[in-house]
Amino acid sequence: MYGWIWRHLPGNAWVRGVISLVLVLAVVYALFQYVFPWAEPLLPFGDVTVDGESAGGAGADQ
Amino acid sequence: MSVRLVVRTFSELCITAGALIILFVVYFLFWTGVKAADAAEGEIDALQSQWAREPVAPAPPPASPEASPSKSPDPVPYRAGKPFATMHIPRFGADWEWPVLENTAVGTLKKGLGHYSATARPGDTGNFAVAGHRRTYGDPFKDFPRLRPGDAVVVNDGTTWFTYRVAKKPHRTVPTDTAVVDPVPRGSGFEGAGRYLTLTTCEPEWGSSHRLIAWAHLDATRPVGDGRPPELTD
Repeated sequence: MYGWIWRHLPGNAWVRGVISLVLVLAVVYALFQYVFPWAEPLLPFGDVTVDGESAGGAGADQ
Repeated sequence: MSVRLVVRTFSELCITAGALIILFVVYFLFWTGVKAADAAEGEIDALQSQWAREPVAPAPPPASPEASPSKSPDPVPYRAGKPFATMHIPRFGADWEWPVLENTAVGTLKKGLGHYSATARPGDTGNFAVAGHRRTYGDPFKDFPRLRPGDAVVVNDGTTWFTYRVAKKPHRTVPTDTAVVDPVPRGSGFEGAGRYLTLTTCEPEWGSSHRLIAWAHLDATRPVGDGRPPELTD
């Protein structure tokens, strides 16, 4: 998988290295910005109210 | 398709999954805190510039909190998700300051503490109930179990400093026990109407099977013009 990506990147080793780094950063950014905020309410650590609802539920009277 | 290719692809997938999990832990333990600190600071700044722009509602009589049963007859309602006060708890650290925002929605609690909309306002007769994260999003209530009777919980709504005193050690209950935020909270030992404060967070620290509750009653008020209350200046 990673070998396949590496082989299909253009340029010499240095250019490929830079492009790889940019790709990795883009993936991390997408994860932190979109994927993790979506996944996080599925875990129970955010339940701090006594309204009896589960994670993702709204507060006392929304 | 050789065995070598299958093994290699499987290994790469395992490494990818491991990296994802590590990144998620970093996000959860570290990045949410960075975001919450940033958001809370922004909310406090917004609040202070708002207080500087427009003097908030008429201040209640500074002396004797027991004197008048109700202050202004029809106060402006708080706007959902917006800050209206700051909270200080010296037990959690001298620089522990968080904004209190209206409602307890998930998005609101990412930016600070959340006020149960159906409960009283700070200083009013009834129960001013506030929820906060114990872990992640800045860990505002990380030291919750360290609260002890007599500890100060100070709230500033722009006109008045309200100093509440914790009544007893934190109480453990179940998430459906909504009576703990009643005007006279059940289990608190308080009897009859009064000016109470309730804090709620999750219990155990990294779980959600229970809730931890702390109750306090209004001890003193002080107009903001008179400076910070002694609890915060020591």
